[in-house]
Amino acid sequence: MRDPDSRAGNKLIRLPRWLTSEHPFPWLFPASAMLIVFGLYPVLYSLWLSMFKRNPATRIETFRPSWNWSKVFADDRVIDAVSVTLTYTFIALTIQLVLGLGIALLLDSDRKGFGLLRSLMILPLVVPPAVTGMMFLLMYDGSFGVISHMLYGLGLLSPSTPILAGGTSALWGVIIADVWQWTPFMVLIMLAGLRALPKDPFEAAAIDGATDMQAFFRLTLPMMSKIIALAVLIRGIDLFRIYDYIKVMTDSGPGTATETLTAYAGTIYFKNADFPYASTVALFTLILVVIIANLFIKIFKVRF
Amino acid sequence: MGSVTIQNLVKRYGGLEVLHGIDLTVEDGKFVVLLGPSGCGKSTLLRMIAGLETVSSGDIAIGEQRVNDMHPKDRNIAMVFQNYALYAHMSVRENMAFSMRLKKTAQAEVDERVNWAASILSLEPYLDRFPKELSGGQRQRVAMGRAIVRNPDVFLFDEPLSNLDAKLRVQMRKEIKELHQRLKTTTVYVTHDQIEAMTMADQVVIMRDGVIEQIGTPLDIYDNPDNLFVAQFIGSPGMNLLSGEIVQGAGGKMFQTGDVTCELPQNSAAMVGQKVLYGIRPEHLQASMQGSGLSATVTVVEPTGPEIHLYATLAGHEICAIAHQRLDWKPDDELKLNPMVDRVHLFDAETKVAIPAG
Ligand SMILES: Nc1ncnc2c1ncn2[C@@H]1O[C@H](COP(=O)(O)OP(=O)(O)OP(=O)(O)O)[C@@H](O)[C@H]1O
Ligand SMILES: [Mg+2]
Repeated sequence: MRDPDSRAGNKLIRLPRWLTSEHPFPWLFPASAMLIVFGLYPVLYSLWLSMFKRNPATRIETFRPSWNWSKVFADDRVIDAVSVTLTYTFIALTIQLVLGLGIALLLDSDRKGFGLLRSLMILPLVVPPAVTGMMFLLMYDGSFGVISHMLYGLGLLSPSTPILAGGTSALWGVIIADVWQWTPFMVLIMLAGLRALPKDPFEAAAIDGATDMQAFFRLTLPMMSKIIALAVLIRGIDLFRIYDYIKVMTDSGPGTATETLTAYAGTIYFKNADFPYASTVALFTLILVVIIANLFIKIFKVRF
Repeated sequence: MGSVTIQNLVKRYGGLEVLHGIDLTVEDGKFVVLLGPSGCGKSTLLRMIAGLETVSSGDIAIGEQRVNDMHPKDRNIAMVFQNYALYAHMSVRENMAFSMRLKKTAQAEVDERVNWAASILSLEPYLDRFPKELSGGQRQRVAMGRAIVRNPDVFLFDEPLSNLDAKLRVQMRKEIKELHQRLKTTTVYVTHDQIEAMTMADQVVIMRDGVIEQIGTPLDIYDNPDNLFVAQFIGSPGMNLLSGEIVQGAGGKMFQTGDVTCELPQNSAAMVGQKVLYGIRPEHLQASMQGSGLSATVTVVEPTGPEIHLYATLAGHEICAIAHQRLDWKPDDELKLNPMVDRVHLFDAETKVAIPAG
């Protein structure tokens, strides 16, 4: 029998109901706090910022809610940046998807050594993107870069215009670095999907007379469609926000040939110090991503 | 054209040999059942015929053609998998039409054949459903449908009924047999259910640990098992076995165990002094409450309806007899057993091989 005093002691420290483990609050609090501090607050603050008109010379900000928003839609550099971003996203995503699926199909084997190959494959993912950018910068160097050397040898490029100096080739230069780094991520997702596919429908298909090619298009692809859609969504959103490679490798150049939306927002922020307009462009990017991603989810019926 | 000929077939997984030289001929149009305990290599053999497993050594021919290295798609076989292996992203109709789609068959013919198969298998109401919207039995029938629309040279079935409830199993058993009688397509059917084997097969192939123990018609295998394994494997309740030896009695050779002696068939090849196992099926032991015969004591009485299973002890051996009369048997009753002499099986105690009855 416990003495009544200790019960009295318990009573003193009894928690309010919303802090007990039956209540959702303690469970949701940490994650919600993170989201609020690092997600919601910046968005709302950007929104607030975007409603000011800043005079860079006098550094005076006046409350003009529609000023920056009308500027975004009239800004040719925004329109260019949208087109660069979309081009970049589309090309890089397509290459990564096709390569990723292809490599995953090759690596999907239980034969000896494939486990090692699979783990080697993901090595590029551990390199920080900025380092990747620097690495490729060196390899693209007009005088001693190994990739430039090969491209000269193949006659695809002449020493007078290094890859990152050409108006159209510069974007490709960045895409190649992105593909090198992020294709393994696609491979990883695709491999997880492929390895989880049941074996017996493929055996049934072989007996039904399907060639390997027919089995791929009629079984593998449809059975993988949900995973492919998810991979496209994740990588697509990531690619749309491309900043580090551009910043390190071309700094939006030559001219503004490789200026993506986030790169442009960065330029406005750091170079022009027009914080409200930079926030507006960043928010505009966010809105575009949300719209495109949701259209994609609707059209391809992605389920989480 | 649809025969299957297998010669000295061996399958190894790395250093592990699981089939040790299988010889088997399935004649065109026959229904052959591979029967054996779990892990004896039935599925492996079937999958090798289908081309889903490589051949380590030996030969497989379908019709006149050696198919060892032929891709499954070129063998013109149809297979029903134990776990259905349906295409989950296709409707029932598309599952069945799949093989014809690959061959770019005209739509009219596809429809006709799918509808034909659906009507045989009573699948018409489900044609537009997806596999996950079907019950196990319905999925089973879709897997069958996918096979029969094909018009193959050979049907391969791997325990196709093992996931069904008892009633559906009996029904499907009949449907498969009817289908075979109608289509007359060579069929190799794997099961570990002896009732399925007995009821469906033209020929039963009994396997154990990667070798064939006996091939024969169901009744032949039941009545004349070649060895102890087959004798024990077929029949439920199983054959009674008494170990003892052959002695010279007044009226000829006799079997003796303890102080019990039993008569042997007239021309049995067993030799006096030979250690043997004496086998008699429960239904060949006539049980009565009095009269002459071997004396046993009833231990358990199991009425099944058509018959009564009597378990008893005879000279220290557990023994089972089947009685058809509705007598009032009770545990500890005295029982008189009369084995039907011409139904006695003798096996050499060492080699476990049957000793010919003469
Ligand atoms: N991939 C494999 N690697 C190694 N051993 C295998 C492999 N597949 C099957 N075996 C072995 O081969 C033997 C035969 O297997 P199989 O699947 O043919 O048995 P089965 O007669 O069909 O049994 P069940 O009635 O349980 O289906 C088993 O002992 C099994 O362990
Ligand atoms: Mg099996």
